[in-house]
Amino acid sequence: MSNSPIIAENLVRHFGDVHAVKGINLEVKAGEVFGFLGPNGAGKSTAVRMLTTLLRPTSGTARVAGFDVVKQADQVRRSIGVALQDAAIDPLMTGAELLALQAVLYGIPASVLKKRSDELLERVGLTAAASRRVSTYSGGMRRRLDLALSLIHQPTVLFLDEPTTGLDPMSRLTLWEEVRRLNREGTTVMLTTQYLEEADQLADRIAIIDHGKIVREGKPADLKASVGAPTLIIKTNIDQTEKAKSVLSTFGDLRPGAEGALGVGLIGGAALVTEVVRKLDEAGVHVAHLEINEPSLDDVFAEATGYRLEGADNAPSAGDNGDNGDEKPKKKSRRGRK
Amino acid sequence: MNTNSITHLNTSDMHSTTMRSAGQLIKRSLINTRRLPSAFLPTLAMPIFNMVSFSGTFFALTKLPGFPTDRSVNWFMPLGLAMGSAFSGVGLGFSLIRDLENGFYDRMRMAPTSRISLIVGPVLATWIRVTLVTLIVFGAGTLLGARPTAGVLSYLCSWIAALGISTIGAGWGLGLAYRFQDMRGAAIMQLSIFLTMFLSTAQVPLNVMTGWLHTVARINPITNIFRLSRSGWVNASDPGHMSWSNAYGGLIAIAVLSVLSLIFALRSLQKIDK
Repeated sequence: MSNSPIIAENLVRHFGDVHAVKGINLEVKAGEVFGFLGPNGAGKSTAVRMLTTLLRPTSGTARVAGFDVVKQADQVRRSIGVALQDAAIDPLMTGAELLALQAVLYGIPASVLKKRSDELLERVGLTAAASRRVSTYSGGMRRRLDLALSLIHQPTVLFLDEPTTGLDPMSRLTLWEEVRRLNREGTTVMLTTQYLEEADQLADRIAIIDHGKIVREGKPADLKASVGAPTLIIKTNIDQTEKAKSVLSTFGDLRPGAEGALGVGLIGGAALVTEVVRKLDEAGVHVAHLEINEPSLDDVFAEATGYRLEGADNAPSAGDNGDNGDEKPKKKSRRGRK
Repeated sequence: MNTNSITHLNTSDMHSTTMRSAGQLIKRSLINTRRLPSAFLPTLAMPIFNMVSFSGTFFALTKLPGFPTDRSVNWFMPLGLAMGSAFSGVGLGFSLIRDLENGFYDRMRMAPTSRISLIVGPVLATWIRVTLVTLIVFGAGTLLGARPTAGVLSYLCSWIAALGISTIGAGWGLGLAYRFQDMRGAAIMQLSIFLTMFLSTAQVPLNVMTGWLHTVARINPITNIFRLSRSGWVNASDPGHMSWSNAYGGLIAIAVLSVLSLIFALRSLQKIDK
């Protein structure tokens, strides 16, 4: 049996008729930062809740830190740290009180409790705010406290469920840095996110989950390489769309673009851009905007699912929100790619 | 964030104890009571309001033949205490719903502490709050003219009854909160408590009841708890006055209903884990 800290085999979770997670298999190796990437409702949080013992799988098995999540839930809980979505912390309590509560619940001896709490508060930069009620904390401070709470018992495996959602860029960068530091210190991290950049920046490997299924898995660089050609994006008048598509399709496969843009994977590489422009000009297509993008995780996502993650926020979906997973999201992007 | 290293803990150090966790949860509950008094004040105001309004409005009840006391406040003070205690208990369910809805309870469920501590801690905190309420109600009752007829035992029996009712209410409230995990449970908590209370001898003694209400009140175990609670406040000549035969039924009812409601709470919590 593999000694990887997170192993899931054919993990399934149904909520009545809703199939939130439809049989996922994954293995996270020791010392990795593993990114679990997908839009809202893809099944990320449901999967994490099963791996963290908060939810029993309908079927399938999972081992975390070497323990079965159903049969050895207590051992799993002792081994993992979890920062869930929305930094769920009691706003009436202070940071120091919450750390003390968390420490006692994890059986940390009173003799080391104070020292450990102080160290964690200092580490996450909350020493000065330790005696303030959490209701007075900013979003970033709450996330940092949430992280400190999840580290109180020195877990070997850390689950971070969308840790930077709703944070300003500076707070996001601070949290990223802390995740990297924890990983350098040997903690295995499983990170769920809907931010492509976050997965790209932090994860050694990623899995893309869509409608309860893992549709791609691998190292970000390998996944991007698998998409292959760079993408040429053009914008043109709406009445010339079909003509433009006809020209573009002679250079490679058409790809979904944002906000009415057209995309094509240039099989012959970026050197073909001038040729494409010339052909479009000959066909009488007016190009209002042109850009070339090297493959990104967004391209990987689009190639795997048929739509772009950046536009998936409002898409009908399965899983976390209990929506039916059999309905396909709209194949369009609401925002441009990064 | 700085780069301090973290004190190493041996796994052997991490021996979670139920009582230590329960103690910390008592502390949390009391801290929240102090910082959010608006959630606590109704459980203090309700028994005093009930005592004042009922003993004034229904003063004439004491003129009924066979009514066990000639002081209406002696009769209605235990009712006020019972109502306040019951709502202190189910109030725990309201707090739990808040924790469940904002996700804080997930953090506690993920801790490797015993499930019993997650229930026992808050229930013990409720006992502390109920004791505080009881002392204040005794004080207010005394000012309004309530006089014990069995000395210290009068206060002791009412206090035990209050703790018992709060435990039953807490188990019931927690169980419903775990089952529904949202405010749907709150309506059932309130309705069921009101019905159970008022289908007993909460307002009038059994001997002045007739028909189905008499039958229901007679078999309602809450009637036994009221008998215990009032045994030191009725006239010494009344058959319901302080005696072992008037106490044991209430004590058994408290023990059985407390155990059942706490089992219901524990089972409901275990159901969430599934």
